[in-house]
Amino acid sequence: MSRNIQRLTEIDRIIHEPARLMIVALLAAVEEADFQYLRLATGLTQGNLSTHLSRLAEADYVAIEKTFRGKYPLTICRLTARGKEVLDKYRKVIRTAL
Amino acid sequence: MQDLLSRPFDENPDLTARRLLLKGHNRDGLPEIAIGLCFLITAFSMWLQVAFQPGSLPYREAALILGVLVPAVGLGSMWAIKKVRRHFLIEQEGYVKLKPPNRKRLVIVGAFSFLIAVAMVVGIYKRALPPASWILAGTGIGGGVLAARAGRLPRYVVGGAIMAATGILVALSRVSLEKGYMILYGSMGILSLLSGCVVLLLFLRRTPEAGE
Repeated sequence: MSRNIQRLTEIDRIIHEPARLMIVALLAAVEEADFQYLRLATGLTQGNLSTHLSRLAEADYVAIEKTFRGKYPLTICRLTARGKEVLDKYRKVIRTAL
Repeated sequence: MQDLLSRPFDENPDLTARRLLLKGHNRDGLPEIAIGLCFLITAFSMWLQVAFQPGSLPYREAALILGVLVPAVGLGSMWAIKKVRRHFLIEQEGYVKLKPPNRKRLVIVGAFSFLIAVAMVVGIYKRALPPASWILAGTGIGGGVLAARAGRLPRYVVGGAIMAATGILVALSRVSLEKGYMILYGSMGILSLLSGCVVLLLFLRRTPEAGE
């Protein structure tokens, strides 16, 4: 039990933050989503979401692409292979430790 | 936001994501409008069976409506909702591309629906169906539980409770199966359509914030 609890130290601190975990979990469940969809789904403010997405992009967990659909600007986000790997590891650690 | 912040470890991230996606899917009321239309078409086909003699043209058309039109509207509405969202509501709702549906789950749901349909047909053919009141109450309660569980939002839970109560009331009133289904599906169709339209109007009235 104590060894399992100790595994919590292996948790990735970038996605352990609840708002970022929510973003990563959502992106893992879809192919891709834009900024507006993520903002509405997570309930985060624009500034907050933007900061968290930048942090996730810096860590290479999320790929961000700026594009247009007609006149509507889209900031499309998708989970990278590295992001998927980190989320899978996070799930395993939480499952075994708690 | 509260969901995850207040209880970060009590469920896995997949469940949280599924709940958020479901909430997003039901945000604009379009799925309720589609469900309402399907219910009203079903109620209309039941009305044809109640109002016209067996063997007449409208009576036979009722079977066609149930067998062809209802599944077509049900499946077509998914495609139509996606198109409407992409073309008219993208500024309000944002853009999302969902993963392709899980084939294993689709096969299980398809096989289950097929078995129920076969059981119904065999039951009708052998005249071995349970009493109409049981079927009506079962449909009301089953549909209500399904609506509450699938929609998760409070308005779906209330709608589910109303459907269950309507099913029980219709069962207690001892009407025929067709009449009972007409009342049950008709009332639920109107309720679902109204609720969907109100949610859509409220959703459209919100000023969309500019995306990044």
